[in-house]
Amino acid sequence: MPWSKFDCTYTAPTGGRQITYCDALREATDQAMVHDPRVFAIGLDADDRFGVFGSMRDLTHKERVLGTPISENAMTGVALGAALSGLRPIHIHLRVDFMLTAMDQIVNYVAKWQDMFGRQGKVPLVIRAIVGRGWGCGAQHSQTLHGWFAHIPGLKVVTPSTPYDAKGLLLASVADDSPVVFLEHRWLYKNTGAVPQELYTLPLGKANVLHRGDRLTVVANSLAAMHALTAIEQHDLDVELIDPRTIKPLDLDTITASVQRTGRLMVVDYDFPFGGFGAEVVAAVTERAFDSLRQPPVRLGFPDRGMPSSGVLERAYYPTPDRLAQAMTAMLLGEVVPS
Amino acid sequence: MTRPHTINRERGLRLLRTMRTIRQASERIAALYPSNVMETPVHLCIGQEAVAAGVCHHLRDEDKLFLGHRTHGPALAKGLGLRPLFAELYGRSTGCSRGFGGSMHLFDPAHGLPGSSAIVGGSIALAVGAGLSAQLQRADFVGVAWFGDAATNAGVCYESLNFAALRKLPVLFVCEDNGYSNVMPKSAHSAHDIESLAKVFMPTVAVDGTDVLATFAAAGEALTAIRAGGGPRFLHCKTKRWMKHQGHEPCDLGVVDRDRDCPIQKLETFLRGSGLLQGAESTQIAQDIEREIDDAIAFAAASPFPTPELLEA
Repeated sequence: MPWSKFDCTYTAPTGGRQITYCDALREATDQAMVHDPRVFAIGLDADDRFGVFGSMRDLTHKERVLGTPISENAMTGVALGAALSGLRPIHIHLRVDFMLTAMDQIVNYVAKWQDMFGRQGKVPLVIRAIVGRGWGCGAQHSQTLHGWFAHIPGLKVVTPSTPYDAKGLLLASVADDSPVVFLEHRWLYKNTGAVPQELYTLPLGKANVLHRGDRLTVVANSLAAMHALTAIEQHDLDVELIDPRTIKPLDLDTITASVQRTGRLMVVDYDFPFGGFGAEVVAAVTERAFDSLRQPPVRLGFPDRGMPSSGVLERAYYPTPDRLAQAMTAMLLGEVVPS
Repeated sequence: MTRPHTINRERGLRLLRTMRTIRQASERIAALYPSNVMETPVHLCIGQEAVAAGVCHHLRDEDKLFLGHRTHGPALAKGLGLRPLFAELYGRSTGCSRGFGGSMHLFDPAHGLPGSSAIVGGSIALAVGAGLSAQLQRADFVGVAWFGDAATNAGVCYESLNFAALRKLPVLFVCEDNGYSNVMPKSAHSAHDIESLAKVFMPTVAVDGTDVLATFAAAGEALTAIRAGGGPRFLHCKTKRWMKHQGHEPCDLGVVDRDRDCPIQKLETFLRGSGLLQGAESTQIAQDIEREIDDAIAFAAASPFPTPELLEA
């Protein structure tokens, strides 16, 4: 079942069929399962009529979609065991927060299984999870955690922001022979964009430049990338917006080259700040392009505490496109931006 | 011997050979261990050889065996060679895990060893995943979960038993019950009785895990049922750990009677009594194995170490 023939060399189409992020995920899953009989999906409520917010509904091969008990830790081990026994599982979590009950399996097993045996074996396992807040969902149903997973050697971390990326990156993740944590922001599910009908894979570890600009480099992934794009377009800011698409591997070459041109770096990271993705990008760029930086780099993200529930507190906790625009404008004016 | 055994000479000698290989390799490791040629924690199987031999003699290369930290016995019984085992213990690039695994992480997929884990309990779930793979592919291999009594306290064990039973997966659960979690006796770590727990989910058989023929017979019946589509089975093997939890020293908990509890002596007594083992055959087997161990150690000691460049991401 060769997957390499689907490697995509073209960029996102600007026209053509428009489908939602959710439908792009559904189409990718369906095409993966049709193309390769080794692909199956497993997860809590993966087979119910809601179909994981629609991303699993009406699949061609329903017999390869398995619901599970609320046993995420063992089910992760089950998915790993299946991956080591000839299959290519997609393990799905309705919320990334539920995935945390499986951290022994994810960190000690899934992530380590290749290194532990001298990288002699393949672990073709995708762990999908829906991230981000709902509506008053509070601290245990709103996390994103991409920076945390990326901390662990042995896990690739993918965070698509557009329908086109969602399909191509999910197919690339299924085609990959190493474990991939694939994080989908629930607020992106209804966004639409041009998505080719045919099966294609996008490279893991290649950033996408969402907006060209000369005076400031903004690095943002997932929903943050879409919010940053809105901010830049609405306020017509001279900003280069880079969506890394994969947190790990991270396309530092593209980011560094941009900063060397613009002289300014802001990371919009919708995640916990301490030791996170934003910190990593700032540190790596500082190491590589210290002399290019005209101002201290800036990180924008969540406060260093659990998510609240009350709407008043939520609106204060979460960044918005307007707040991003204010911060970018301030940075372009040379002002100190509170992070 | 609590029940009559029907076994032919060839099978009897093969079981003896496997148990002796595990015993003698373990004793050699214990003897060499203080010299620090093996820079890895070892959890030896001396006294527990009958479980490895009795179960693994029914397994095929296609069957996937997932082990915990006490690996050497079942790995050797499943087909791992002495050379790749010793080279791994010596930290060499010719080791079964190329020097990245050590004693607790052994790898030999050609013989159905997809890897072993040093976190108690978790690898049970991987064997269930192998069973799920067999079921989805309509293949006839079996997943085998290998764990100790203490692993039955881990939530992942309960979750795995439940899922295997729910989907009637081809999985054999082998509980190698040596009565201790490190130095904690079972009475101090388990309020449950292991057989009763397992019986909630699947047919469960308890055997004397120091009696290789009883273990062999029970494992055979369980695997026949599993391969016939009967769903998972649980084999509770009560055995004795002669050594400390980790390292080369004898266990000082005072629970082992080496004459009464020795699986090798038990089998030899039976084979001699049945006329299946004669004269100096046992001595000859032991000498042959010593030579194989000598060869494996020479191979390990002469093998190159892995190079630090391998650590690059």
